[in-house]
Order: sequence, then structure tokens, then C-alpha cells
Amino acid sequence: MFLILKYIAKLLKAISSEAAPGQLAAGLILGMIIGLTPVASIHNLIILVLIIILKVNIGMAILGFLVFSGVAYLADPVFHSFGTWMLENESLQGFWVTMYNNEWIAISRFYNTVVIGSLLIAIGLCLPVYPLTVYMVKEYREHILARINKWKVVKLLKGTKLYSIYQGVNRVRGKA
Amino acid sequence: MRIKGLIFLAILIGLGVALSFVSPDKWLQENIEYQASVLNEAKVEFDDFEFDLFGLKMSWSRLQVANPNNTMTNTFETGETEFDLLFWPVMWERVLIEDIKLTGFRLDTERETDGYFEMPVDESGEEDPGFIAEVTRQITSEIKQNAQMQITDIKDDINVDSLMALVDIESVDKMNALQSDLQQKYNRWENTLSNNPIEQNVNTIKTTMEAIEVPKMKNPKEVISTLENVKKLTDQVKKLQKDADSLKKAFEADFNSSKDGLGQIDNWIRSDIQKAVNVAKLPDLDAQNIGTALFGGNLLGDFSAYLEYLALAREYGSRFVGAEEEEKIERYEGKNYTFSDKYDWPSFWIQNIELSGFTKTDIEISGKVTNLTSDQKKIGEPIIIGLKGEDANGVNLSIDGEINYLGEQPVEKVRVAYSNFPLKNTKISPSELLKYDLKQGTGEISVDLNIIDKRISSEVRYEAKDIAFDFESAGAPKNRIESLIRTAISGADNINASALIDGTEGRLDVKVRSNIDDLFLDALKGTVSKQVEDAKRKIRSEVESQVTAKRREVETLVREKEAQIQKEYEALQAKVDEQLEKVEAKKAELEKKKKELEDSVKDALKKKIGF
Repeated sequence: MFLILKYIAKLLKAISSEAAPGQLAAGLILGMIIGLTPVASIHNLIILVLIIILKVNIGMAILGFLVFSGVAYLADPVFHSFGTWMLENESLQGFWVTMYNNEWIAISRFYNTVVIGSLLIAIGLCLPVYPLTVYMVKEYREHILARINKWKVVKLLKGTKLYSIYQGVNRVRGKA
Repeated sequence: MRIKGLIFLAILIGLGVALSFVSPDKWLQENIEYQASVLNEAKVEFDDFEFDLFGLKMSWSRLQVANPNNTMTNTFETGETEFDLLFWPVMWERVLIEDIKLTGFRLDTERETDGYFEMPVDESGEEDPGFIAEVTRQITSEIKQNAQMQITDIKDDINVDSLMALVDIESVDKMNALQSDLQQKYNRWENTLSNNPIEQNVNTIKTTMEAIEVPKMKNPKEVISTLENVKKLTDQVKKLQKDADSLKKAFEADFNSSKDGLGQIDNWIRSDIQKAVNVAKLPDLDAQNIGTALFGGNLLGDFSAYLEYLALAREYGSRFVGAEEEEKIERYEGKNYTFSDKYDWPSFWIQNIELSGFTKTDIEISGKVTNLTSDQKKIGEPIIIGLKGEDANGVNLSIDGEINYLGEQPVEKVRVAYSNFPLKNTKISPSELLKYDLKQGTGEISVDLNIIDKRISSEVRYEAKDIAFDFESAGAPKNRIESLIRTAISGADNINASALIDGTEGRLDVKVRSNIDDLFLDALKGTVSKQVEDAKRKIRSEVESQVTAKRREVETLVREKEAQIQKEYEALQAKVDEQLEKVEAKKAELEKKKKELEDSVKDALKKKIGF
């Protein structure tokens, strides 16, 4: 829990100024894929490895996972229907058979309606979500952040002793 | 690339590898032992169990499968065993093994500890015993009956009075119960007939009809209105007639069931006579019964032992089949599609078991059991068993079988042949008719077991060759029967016997015959048969004398009461019929009156108009 809060704090900081918008958007779409598809799938292991080794924002990946897990619960019937349509599609039968007969591919459970349906939809969603996130982060930094910093509540928070201590600690740890 | 991320990943992989070296043997052994014990309903235990996660190899030095019916013995045990699990099926949560070598296989071994297993509450409980278990029960009962057949103890001076004191004659009690039941039934019918609404309604209609005085009617309107009422009354009487018919049908059905009860009386008396005959230990002397008495115990005993193994196979088979469940589509689970049968493995499949070991009588056996699986339909192959062996003295054993659950009906076929075993110093039959040891000879037993669903057709054959009875050790014959039997069988150097077991669920036909039945029958006919028939006659007449008076009483009750009720019913029916006639007559009278009045009105009208 502490780790998640820490990443959320880092995330807010990253959105504000630190990280490149591309890293934030990449973290979000990778988290989104894990969130939308059944967690215990081989492809999610690969995505988890990518999140760990690539310079994507982990906080954004966690946010993506949390938000899109909820979406997935609601969209499950849609995934199932889309997966069924894909797997029953006559023109794709040869392709599926070839994939199915390869044990290494079959182990991904692509032949499951929810796995294939959710994975394809998640990949499809990456196309608009990635540029949209980049755009929104830039917009936030340019237009919204300055206004938020002017809010009395924020100013009040920044004026507290606790905030000064937090900044001091961060400076000592070289993270300010 | 995130350097810290790469380091973290490397640490994770290192930890995973390190964890895989922590042996899961103990945990896995306990789990497999528990699941197998639940399936077996008695302990299944491994010694030195090992599992290699990377190589997917499993091995043990000893496996004991306790017998649930006698937990101080094992159904079987094996020695050193090692085999590989196929990799890809494990990924699909299936256990597939190509080859297992089971060495040190032994059937029916003693255990050092009790193999009792406390079944979990949801797994235990009453189960349908199944067809094979039912056949085994019937055969065991047949063996017990044979054991009661004591031909040499028969006496011709049976004291019928003291015998009857030992027999619980049930016919009289059953007839008393029948009489009381019939009496209640008759009382009910008497009440029904004396208080029935039909008679009351007929009387009411009669009164109404008598009140209608047609000659006094002058007004056509009054006639038409009365006619309508009479028509309604006619319908009512017809309905009463139908009610009376229904009453008659119910009454006849009830009386027919009473007659069925009467028909049972003969069976009850026969059963009491048979009971007395059994208490007196009087056998039915024919070749079939003698064959059964001589060899039934041995042949059917062997047969039921093999049946128990088959019952076990069918029970385990059905449990495995039950485990293969249809895929359900649950939320967030989806549905799995199959694009080829590549992964359509059963949950469990051992393709080839090479088995070697010893029987209880130290015959070294070896052979194969193939395609042991949880779902034969998925692999398209039945279980095939082929085992054979021989001991140092040339005694042979072979077991061949096919357990086929591919079709709609389960089929089990097993052939066991055990031959060339020595008979010297053994008895050929447990029966006291053939209580003599053998001086020489060899034996052969073969069992053919064929079961298709709930139909069994099987044969057990026994042959004793080159035999010679040792009459000298048994001493001089104690009675004439013994003397006759010795003379009859002294010339026989070959004895063969067979038991045919044939039937479907609930109807099992067991026939045991041998080549010495007729020899025995001839020897016994002149002596025992007459004594048996005389004793039976005495018993029959005594039982009949005890029950005849009661029987007459019941029959008289039925005859008298039925006649009385029939008479009452006929009187009621006559009343209804009579009333119907009267109503119809009244209706005709009213019709006539109506026409007369209408004609007179018409005439008066014509006169007025001037026609």
C-alpha cells in the first residue's frame, strides 16, 4: 500500500513537470493492457517485464491497471462477444489453427474468447490513448498546472511546515 | 532501458531459480496420497517419493494401496518405480505418462500398519452399490446356500412336531392381516352403498316426478315449463346412472385386488413349506444341486474374487469420468475454442505400464497394462491387460482383459487361466460328500468374465487331471451313502466342473455342473431320495393342516361379502334404471300433452278466423 501511495505521489510529481509525456503515456497503456486483460496471462508477464526494464512511468502503469481493471469488469461481455466473433471468423480459421498448433503460442491462451477479445481491444485502444495522454499531459502542464498553483489551498499547503520538511528530505536524498 | 529495473528482474529470476531447488516432494507426496486415498477409500502410501520439477520425473521405492474392505492388507503394492511426465500436457493441467515400469508388483500383501483412511464428510456417504457389486452379493448368497446342503445327515424318522416348533409359520398371520384388510374394505363399501347420495337423489327426483300431474294441466305454457324441468331431471338421472357405473368400476377394481390377495395365499403356504424343508435340511436332489453343492463354493468363490476387482475398475472408471466436467462460461473466464485435437488430452493417461512381480503363490508374473486413462473416448483406446507368468514348478497364470468404455455401454472382459497346479494332499471340494484327500493330480482353473453394462455372461471352469482319491486315510465308510459315493467316484481319474453365470440386473442365473454329478445322483437316489421325499410329504401335510382352517375362513368371508355387496349395488342400479324409465315416460307424456294443447289452440284459432 505504501509502495502504491509512493508511486502515486511520484506520478503526480511526474505529471507536473518531471517525466517526458511519452514515458507517462507508455506507462499508462502498458498498465491498461494488464488491467483490461485477464491478469494471469502469459502476455501480462511480458508486459510486466517491459514496465520494469523500459523507462516508462511505473506510477502511470499502476494507475492504468487500477482504472482499466474496473473498466474490464464492466466490459467483460463485450470482450467475450468480440473474442467469439474473432475466433469464429471463417477467414481467420487457418491462422488460428496454425497458432493453436504451436505450443509456445497456444500457451498464451489466445483461444479463449475473453483473452483474445480483451487483448485485441486493449492493443487497439493503445493507438488513441497514447497520443491523447501525451497531449493531455502537455495541456495540463501548460494551462492547468499554473492555475492550480495559484489556488489558495495549494499555496496554503506549500506554506506549511510539513511541506518544507518534505522538500528538505527530498533535497537531502537528491530527489528535489 | 532502466538499469535498476534490469537488476531487479535479474534478482527476481535468481530468486525463482533458488526457490525451484527447494524440494516440493513432501508437499506433493502428501497431496497425491490424500487424493488417491479419497479415491481408494483406504490409505495409499509412497515410500521415498521424489519429484524433479525441471526434469518432470517422479519416482518412489514402494507404493502401497490398502484394501478398503480389509485395511490390514494391500490390494496391491509395487517396488521401485520411475517415470517421466510429458511437459506440454502439464502446461494444460493434464498428467500424461508414456511409460511406467512397475517392478516388485504384488497382489494382496500384508500391511505393517492399518490402512484405514478417515474419509472427508463430503466424500463419504451411501452410494449405489452398482451392478457388479449386486452380482457379487447374489453369488455370495448362492455360495452360502450351497454350504447349507447336508445330504449325509438326512434321517427318515423326522419328528414333525418338534420340527414345526422351530419353524415360524407365517401364512396364518399373513391371512389374518389379509382378512382384516378385506373386512375393512367391505365395511367401507357397505357404508358407501348405504349412505350414497345416488339413492337420496333418486328419491328426491321420484318425489318431484310424482308431484307432476299431467292430465290436470290445461295451459300449454305450464306444460312447456314442466317439460323443460323434466328434461333437466332426465339429465340428472343419467348423471346418477354414470355415478353408479363409476361406483361399480371402483368396487370391481377393489374386489379384483382382494382376489390378488387371495392368490397370494398359495405362495405363502409354499414358502412356509419350503422354510420347514430348509429347517429340516432337506435338499432338492438333482444333478444341478449336487454340482452346486460339490463345486459351487470353490468356483463361485473364485469368480466373486475376480468380480470384486472388476467392480473396483468400474467404480474408479466412473469416478474418473465424473471428474471430466464440461466447460462453463463464467464472467471474466470466457470460453475456450479448440482448433485441432492436439491438446484434447484426458486429465490422466498412462499409455504403457510394464509390470513385473509375484503373485501370492509366488508365480513370477510380467506383462503390460496399456491406456489407463480418465477418459477413454478422448484417446479412442480401451484398457488392455496382458499378464502372464510361471513358477519354478511349472504352474502357469495368465490374465488377459479389456476394459472398454468407448461405447454407450461399459464392457469388461477378463480371462484368467491358472493351470498345472498340484492337487496332491488337497481336497477337490469343501463339501463333506467329497471329503477325501487326493494322492495325485494337477488342476486347471479358467475364468471368463464378460460384462456389458448390466448384463453378465461368464463361465468358470475347473479341471482336475490324473487324480486318485485317498480313501484309506479317511478310514472305513461311516454309512451306506459314503460307501456308495466311494464306489461311484473311485473310477474317476478326471473331474471337470463348470459354473455358468448369466443374467441381467435383478435376474441372475447360476448353473454349476460337473462330470460326477450323475454318479452322485445315481448313488444317492436309491437311498437319500426316498427319505427326502417322505420327510417333505410329512412337512407339507403338517403345514397345510395348520393353515387350511384359516384359508377357508378368509375365502368364505370374501365369497359372502362380495355377494352381499353385489346385491346391494344391483338394487341401487335397479332403482336408478327404474327412475330413468319413469322420467322418460313422464317426458313422453308431457310431449303428448303439449301437442294436444297446441292442436286445440290451433283449432280454436282456425275457428275464429273462419277456416
